[in-house]
Amino acid sequence: MSKIQQTAVNMAGVGFRKWAQALTKSKGTGISALLSGCRAASGGSKGSLPGSYPTTPEEKAAAAKKYNIRVEDYEPYPDKGEGFGDYPKLPDRSQHERDPWYKWDHPDLRRNWGEPMHWDFDMYIRNRVDTSPSPVDWISMCKQLFGFIGFMLFMFYIGEKFPSYQPVAPKQYPYNNLYLEKGGDPEKQPEEVKNYGI
Amino acid sequence: MADYREAPLATRPRTLDPNDYFNLSPEKRRADEERAALRANLKRQYQTQLNNPHRKELIEDPALTRWVYARSNPYPHFRPTFKTSLLGFACGVFPLFALYYIFKTDRVR
Repeated sequence: MSKIQQTAVNMAGVGFRKWAQALTKSKGTGISALLSGCRAASGGSKGSLPGSYPTTPEEKAAAAKKYNIRVEDYEPYPDKGEGFGDYPKLPDRSQHERDPWYKWDHPDLRRNWGEPMHWDFDMYIRNRVDTSPSPVDWISMCKQLFGFIGFMLFMFYIGEKFPSYQPVAPKQYPYNNLYLEKGGDPEKQPEEVKNYGI
Repeated sequence: MADYREAPLATRPRTLDPNDYFNLSPEKRRADEERAALRANLKRQYQTQLNNPHRKELIEDPALTRWVYARSNPYPHFRPTFKTSLLGFACGVFPLFALYYIFKTDRVR
């Protein structure tokens, strides 16, 4: 192709692109230039989803605002590459501990609308893990449990060492130890077998 | 009850928590009030949407959306460190070979 024809083709290509961009008023190239340049107003805004670990104080403040937490309360998970991003580290408390008499928006979950959810929220629901204080303290619980288990193990061990059975003897048969059934002579008088004692 | 020791990972009863008695300060009070203000704001938003007579659709909870999104998209923030790769090996690679070995030897027997 001659140089003039090439430039003409280039200009045509450029012209089409510019036309498409003007049509959609978007600054993208390629497919995104042909799609609509406006986003829908429904749904969450772009900045409302979790992002990456915040490094500067401004990012921390923005993340705290996003999650509806006080800036002083907002503490992201330490950045160890475990996949948390900027999700806040809330106290590991189960939903069992929350006030049962307060008017929650969702009473079964004991949670208000918009409240930041713990990363392990589905573990801390009221059907599952319970972190509420135990009625008896830890030491006495340990003592009771391990005491019982230890006692049972000890007794079973003793039972293995000193087994006790019901007393048994060889089975006693009637009719002079079954003399006839065992093929004894019917004419002969068998010796009297006494299997009892009075 | 003075020597009550709570179970690890469980909480102490409120009445035995020393913070409730000793560390009270105006800053703590202010913090509680700020938290209450945030909570009241969210409550107001929710109640407005709930009692709106023209509302036909479900009330979308952005906190829930964020939680679901965070839980289902950990990979952009994943970085192979010593701990994570160790975990990955323990859960993904080791059982593979261990189970293969166990099944093979069990079947031969």
